[in-house]
Amino acid sequence: MLSLIVFLPVIAGLIILAVPSSQKQIIRIVSLLAAVVQMVLAVMIWRGYDPSLAGITAMAGGMPEGSFQFIERLPWISLDLGNMGSMNIEYFLGVDGLSITMVILTALVSTIGVLSSWTIKKQVKGYFLLYNLLATAMMGCFVALDFFLFYVFWELMLLPMYFLIGIWGGPNREYAAIKFFLYTLFGSVFMLLVMIGLYFSVIDPLTGNHTFSLVAMASQENYIKDAILGPDNAMWRYVAFIVLFIGFAIKVPMFPFHTWLPDAHVEAPTPISVILAGVLLKLGTYGMMRINFPLFPEVFQASMYVIGVFGAINIIYGAFCALAQQDLKKMVAYSSISHMGYVLLGLAAANSEGMTGALYQMFNHGTITAMLFLLVGVIYDRAHTRQIDKFGGLASYMPVYAGIVTVAWFASLGLPGLSGFISEAFVFVGAFSSETTRYIAMVSVLGIVFGAAYLLWSLQRMFLGKRKDDAAYDLVTGPDGQEQIHFHDWNGKLDLDGRELAMLIPLVVITIFLGIYPMPIMGLMTTTVNHLVEVLSPVMMAVVN
Amino acid sequence: MHSLIQLSIAVLLLPLLSFVILIFFNRRLPRRGDFIGVGILGATFGLSAYIFWTVIVQHYDPAFRVAWDFTWIDFGNVPGVGPLVIKMGIVIDNLTAIMLAMVTLISFLVHLYSTGYMKGDKHYGRFFAYLGIFTFSMLGIVLADNLFAIYIFWELVGLSSYLLIGFFFEKESAADAQKKAFLANRVGDIGMWLGILILYSQFHTFSYHEIFGHLAAGEFGMSHAWLTAAGILLFMGCVGKSAQFPLHVWLPDAMEGPTPVSALIHAATMVAAGVYFVARIFVLLTPEALYVISFVGAFTAFMAATIAITQHDIKRVLAYSTVSQLGYMVLGLGVGAYSAAIFHLVTHAFFKACLFLGSGAIIHAMHHEQDMRWMGGLRKNMPWTFVTFSVATLALAGLPLSSGFMSKDAILAGAIGFAQAEGGGIYYLVPFLGFISALMTAFYMGRQIWLVFFGESRTHLKPAAPDDHHAAHAHDDGHEGEHHAVHEVAWNMRLPLVILAALSIFVVYSPDPLDGGKGWFMHMIQTPATVVGETVHAEPALHMEAGESLAAGEGHEVVPGHGAAQMHAETHTEGHTFADPRQAEIGHLSHAAHNQAIMISSIMVALGIVLALVFYVFRLIDPDKTAKAIRPLYLLSFNKWYWDEIYNATVIKGSLGIARLLSWFDANIVDGVVNGVATLTRKFAFANGSFDRYAVDGMVNFTAFFVNTSGAFMKKLQTGKVQTYVVMVILALFGYFVYYFTQLVY
Repeated sequence: MLSLIVFLPVIAGLIILAVPSSQKQIIRIVSLLAAVVQMVLAVMIWRGYDPSLAGITAMAGGMPEGSFQFIERLPWISLDLGNMGSMNIEYFLGVDGLSITMVILTALVSTIGVLSSWTIKKQVKGYFLLYNLLATAMMGCFVALDFFLFYVFWELMLLPMYFLIGIWGGPNREYAAIKFFLYTLFGSVFMLLVMIGLYFSVIDPLTGNHTFSLVAMASQENYIKDAILGPDNAMWRYVAFIVLFIGFAIKVPMFPFHTWLPDAHVEAPTPISVILAGVLLKLGTYGMMRINFPLFPEVFQASMYVIGVFGAINIIYGAFCALAQQDLKKMVAYSSISHMGYVLLGLAAANSEGMTGALYQMFNHGTITAMLFLLVGVIYDRAHTRQIDKFGGLASYMPVYAGIVTVAWFASLGLPGLSGFISEAFVFVGAFSSETTRYIAMVSVLGIVFGAAYLLWSLQRMFLGKRKDDAAYDLVTGPDGQEQIHFHDWNGKLDLDGRELAMLIPLVVITIFLGIYPMPIMGLMTTTVNHLVEVLSPVMMAVVN
Repeated sequence: MHSLIQLSIAVLLLPLLSFVILIFFNRRLPRRGDFIGVGILGATFGLSAYIFWTVIVQHYDPAFRVAWDFTWIDFGNVPGVGPLVIKMGIVIDNLTAIMLAMVTLISFLVHLYSTGYMKGDKHYGRFFAYLGIFTFSMLGIVLADNLFAIYIFWELVGLSSYLLIGFFFEKESAADAQKKAFLANRVGDIGMWLGILILYSQFHTFSYHEIFGHLAAGEFGMSHAWLTAAGILLFMGCVGKSAQFPLHVWLPDAMEGPTPVSALIHAATMVAAGVYFVARIFVLLTPEALYVISFVGAFTAFMAATIAITQHDIKRVLAYSTVSQLGYMVLGLGVGAYSAAIFHLVTHAFFKACLFLGSGAIIHAMHHEQDMRWMGGLRKNMPWTFVTFSVATLALAGLPLSSGFMSKDAILAGAIGFAQAEGGGIYYLVPFLGFISALMTAFYMGRQIWLVFFGESRTHLKPAAPDDHHAAHAHDDGHEGEHHAVHEVAWNMRLPLVILAALSIFVVYSPDPLDGGKGWFMHMIQTPATVVGETVHAEPALHMEAGESLAAGEGHEVVPGHGAAQMHAETHTEGHTFADPRQAEIGHLSHAAHNQAIMISSIMVALGIVLALVFYVFRLIDPDKTAKAIRPLYLLSFNKWYWDEIYNATVIKGSLGIARLLSWFDANIVDGVVNGVATLTRKFAFANGSFDRYAVDGMVNFTAFFVNTSGAFMKKLQTGKVQTYVVMVILALFGYFVYYFTQLVY
């Protein structure tokens, strides 16, 4: 099941390879079919998922069964390293409460991304090949339970992303692509070292061999006491935690490692922005929850405050930077930075409310930001500009678009009744309830006001009032005698067309539904989050030691 | 499930249904679906009236309470806490029943009124949709049984308010006003949210009932200061929503919305939600928090009244009057006059809605003229509006026989009682500001009535100016041009005025026009026992001190513990029961101050009216000359104490400045470092490359060159001629000999 959902896009990619590049529509439809089937599989996994199982660590005796679900485990690479033993890399997939929601999110955003890619005109075949490779890599990251396998998927994401931005992007695309590539690569080099260190520090209780299994690594009793990253080597464990954290923080992205994101977003084509903000950023925080924190819980305990401070900086700094932007897409990019700060803050709280809020925020930010970037794409397609000041009074002429923008913007500013509110609310509830992060939470609430400020201000400048004199469109008299607007070089429908509605309506519905009744998604994660909180708690560590 | 709960769920969801139908289908419905909005609200009011009848008339029990909840979010078995669920629910008590009836009645009347006022508007159907979602959110606030739910609906009324203020969004001023309203409210909301977080962090619940229970049991784990902070922070929500100083600036601007909206949202219901919320959490407010609340309320009442005096726009006068009256309510809660504050909330809702709808009728009839300087003489043209507007004005000014008289006096009596109980001094400022504001209220309302309804029409005096109201409203009501007859409005706008005016008469609330305390209202809404009183909380030492002073005053001793406090409950003549000695003392003194309050406030009101007569009717003093004589004060009032300018220069400019600074920092410093590292890496790489090319590769090439050159040289020696070889042998031997002999010599 999981293998299928991971490799389905690659299979579609192989089919595309056989299709002549002139058959653009077939290429698109094959990709869409793969994405839709992936979506169906995700729903099946969702239906079959038992939310009462904890995940994170193995059951007593090291068996992942009974804790993880949909497990697929095969030996993959075995290397004899002479007197150093043997290198055992497994093909090990499975889901728990941390990954199940991300699997659903990835399938959803990939599908919408394919729809959004319909407007790609240049080298369609190559585009969809890379797109499908990217979809596989993302899904693989979320379900891989072997660190090596995770690393392979993690690195595999870089390649298609590099080309998708570098070839199909905006004017400054090469700079943005290489910045993204090198920045992420910089983070993952250290991950490789830590991974090898962990391998030689952990014994799988089932086999007695060294292992890359993240499940085994998450239990502190599986560590060899005097190994390089064993409990006796406190210093190296700190170093390993920090470099791993930086690796993931780059992906989040966390201040001060965030500057690749606005560049990448501004240059990336709309569907790639959607994927980037909707899924890729979550890999950073997912990596923290899956790998960084449970593997080094005592270091996490010591760094909660610092992580919280960085979360608060992200929230407020991101909001202020967004307030100053003139380019709508850049504003949305900074709003992403701000909203990912909530995730960091929730994680730093290290209690169930905060971590659930953080994980739920990852899901909601995925859907809401996907919506925001799609909406930016809609107006960019028509007006060929994203300068906020080049608009004005759009609400009178594009009422459906304005309506959906209003929903998306208010979802982003955390309006109750929409999903983003619940996750942000519980992040604050958790962060305030934890004595470590209490004061950080009190400062971070400023983000609520400034978040509203930049969103409402942009809404006003673009949609309310009247057309500005230097607007990117003209006022003309329509066939019905009513005044309407005209974009240069745009022959499509003025307001949203069917394809755009097909992308946006599901996201709107999800945002509203999960804002009123969050349990379908939140219910999947609570058991796992509670267990994670236990694994990370000082009490638990005292028991182990 | 209790049948009342089922009904209340229907009451809550019906307006939402109206919203959903109208937002999607209004263009496909006849009359843009206004009959759906009006009809659904009529039904909602019917159900609410039934709830009101059952709770208030049939049960007639001050302690009536029905509650119901369900699990909304299940966190499972949370480490360190145990099973944790977040519940949502509904609670119906007397306060809820009264608020339900009030909100749905006014909402229904405003719906009906809007079928006349908004007729012909481009977005007529959408207007009713927005009214629907507003009513839904407002009812949610009223029905919610927990802080989380109230926060949700709190922000949703903020959204509806945002949408309705900006209903004429093509006007830049409307778009500014809606943004300002939302942001000012958000500032209040973050305070409220922090207050909620303080309470949640201690008890892991949002339910009022459970929080109060934990507090009463003394389970609050943080210091007393945190509890006070929680109270003040929760009150911040009210400061935002009820437009109290310093967040009051949004409400006058909110008058950019259509006038029915001003009546419903920005006068009667939503802005009163702040007061309602403080009433809900009243029992957890510490005395220190209550001091803050009373002073904020008193200052707001005073400041807004001073501004209302000089405004020209008929709606602005009413807007500042609303701020001022909300200040009274907040003041009332702060001083502990709980039932009086809620009483004023309800009476104010009716008479202020009447005033706004009346002003709407005037504006409608005058073709969007809002400036009172160009009105006058309307009593002949609009008799219905004139009579109802006057009744409501009497209630607002607080003249006897009106509802406002009873409620305002009850608050002022409470303020006197509070000042006496706290030992006078600075605390007398609260009743003082209250009485001064009563004077000013009578004055500015007298001024308004005179300018609008009496004298002769001054329409022709208006300087010709481009009239942007017409264009912006895009009304098409068949009246174009400037000078034409002003007619009374149609029945659908008149009926709401009559009903609301009727509800501003004393007999609805109490048989005795001088004492609201004798009526059903004050009986049904009684001050609840605090859960944070001295007898319940505080450190032993502090408690003894407070206890002693109170014991001396009241003649009974105070024993720690909630149960003990209840034993010492004191019963007043009206049957009010106070479990807390502080509350008991204030209640006692307020009761004693009742007649005093009536006297002083009557004098104040009379003075105010006399002043208005002197200035505007008899023209004994010229208002314009007076304004010139006290120009700085006049300008302060006319320019609204310059709060907008102050905020603009500090908060807004400051935020934008920080934003630009951080953005620059981001682009040049943070990203500069990244690019710098990249550049350095490249430089290093180039240096490395040069080293590679010139040094490393140079060595290789040099070796090759050397071999090549030496080879070329050497090959020249290989001539193949014997003579050459012989010469070379001789040269070699010669050299050897030279070497040998030099070795011998030395």
